[in-house]
Amino acid sequence: MSYADFRLETVAETIPNPFRRVVRFVFEWIPIAIVAGLWELASGTAVSSEILPPPSAVFAVSWELLVSGRILPHLQVSLYRIGVGLGLSIVVGVALGVGMARVKPIENFFEVFLALIYPVPKAALVPLAILWLGIGTETAILIVFLACLLPIVLNSYNAARNVDRNLIWSARMMGMPAWKLPIKIVVPATIPSILTGIRQAIPIAFIALVSAELIASNRGVGFEILRHGQIGNYTSMFAVLVVISGTAFVAVRGYEWLERRVVTWT
Amino acid sequence: MNRTQTHRQHPPNAKSTHDTMVDGHVTIAELEKEYESGDERTTAIEDFSVTVPSGEFLGVVGPSGCGKSTLLYLVAGFLEQTTGTIAVDGDPIDGPGTDRGVVFQDYALFPWRTVMGNVTYGLEEKGVGKEERRATAQRFIDMMDLDGFEDKYPKELSGGMKQRVALARTLAYDPKILLMDEPFGALDQPLRESLQDHLIDIWRELEKTVIFITHDVEEAVYLSERVLIMTRHPGTKKTTVDIELDRTQPREELVLSDEYTATKNDVWQSLREETTPGGEH
Repeated sequence: MSYADFRLETVAETIPNPFRRVVRFVFEWIPIAIVAGLWELASGTAVSSEILPPPSAVFAVSWELLVSGRILPHLQVSLYRIGVGLGLSIVVGVALGVGMARVKPIENFFEVFLALIYPVPKAALVPLAILWLGIGTETAILIVFLACLLPIVLNSYNAARNVDRNLIWSARMMGMPAWKLPIKIVVPATIPSILTGIRQAIPIAFIALVSAELIASNRGVGFEILRHGQIGNYTSMFAVLVVISGTAFVAVRGYEWLERRVVTWT
Repeated sequence: MNRTQTHRQHPPNAKSTHDTMVDGHVTIAELEKEYESGDERTTAIEDFSVTVPSGEFLGVVGPSGCGKSTLLYLVAGFLEQTTGTIAVDGDPIDGPGTDRGVVFQDYALFPWRTVMGNVTYGLEEKGVGKEERRATAQRFIDMMDLDGFEDKYPKELSGGMKQRVALARTLAYDPKILLMDEPFGALDQPLRESLQDHLIDIWRELEKTVIFITHDVEEAVYLSERVLIMTRHPGTKKTTVDIELDRTQPREELVLSDEYTATKNDVWQSLREETTPGGEH
């Protein structure tokens, strides 16, 4: 073995598999542990524990919210809103992205439109959405939908525009009529980018959801943050935040896990 | 099968035995292709005429940027010529058609489909039933020594295997004319040689017309019955050289023979005249 062969990965491979996973897990969570530790120290010393409750208390309440099931109805409502909003944005976003890439008039029409919409914070649309749809689920869905639409449209648009010319030509030479190309070639070729767009959209969906529920809802996790805040129960407020963050984290990880298993050809 | 032992039996005078009345002959007349970008017009191909008789293996060599690939894509129907005609069996082509099959240098396999799924693709488009589709595809998968890899995705295959899948995919829907765009250019020498011999076997067995683009003089001379040399820019036909070699010898003897060396040098000299003036090669 020369020096060049001596790398950390080579060493890592000598560690038995289950143990390696534990090591990786520990390393992944060290930064979180450090922050939580500092936060724990600061709470009650540098900052009043009234306004910065210690993480030990926050995590305990988060755990209690989940175990007692008190947060579950809210979580259920929120996840439903995310599911519908994100689902709609996938269907519309992919169709729009592929359409823009393949049909010039569609591209011309939406290009400027998307460029204008992109920098607008979707939370700013909440008051308007209330006006149209009232307080509740529809408004939250609309905001989630609009926020998720952009990463999905842009990812599928860029990928559909840059589909390998030879793939199109291969299909054409095998007798495929031009009108079949979008469905049979462009969409499948674009799938890796569509999946990336969806992955980017998941955390965005949570951001949009909470910003809508803070204003335009009387249920859901966003509403719970507001409610606890208003009655001065900051530990619970933080605890709901932790639940949201954890749920989003699990959603992204779960999605990635599913993606690897379902789309095996990428 | 030991491919290096393959004996080739090109007829001594190839041209006379190919019948221009049988399926799969290509006639290119007065072809010109101009590209327009903004106000600039570039002529890629000019005053190009050639007749490729049915069943011929025509190699096309030329300096890089001479429009070899453009020529191939025009014949494929992917690009449209500015003037001139391209006809297959006397009928001017109108876009891509299943009478012509292209093999690309970068394989262009559908990554979302397995080997089997790629090879059956053309048959699906033809409306062939599932059973027959699979049977036909299997035949070409076996022919390409790919049996056992039917359910693999392209990303799981090496470059040489991908190119064999691409060849199987094109052969499966039975085009009369194979258009090959430097198909072995990205492969290493031993792999390239093995695929070259494989291609010759297939060409003989299936009686296809082949137009084979390459920048490699040896490859062109080794494979072709006739080599067409293109000029630098704009691309036009400089000359064609008939390759008359004793194809009954195995590769290792053939490549050492005086006639092979002489032919190769002729083509090389002719091509070199095109590559030297610009000095970039």
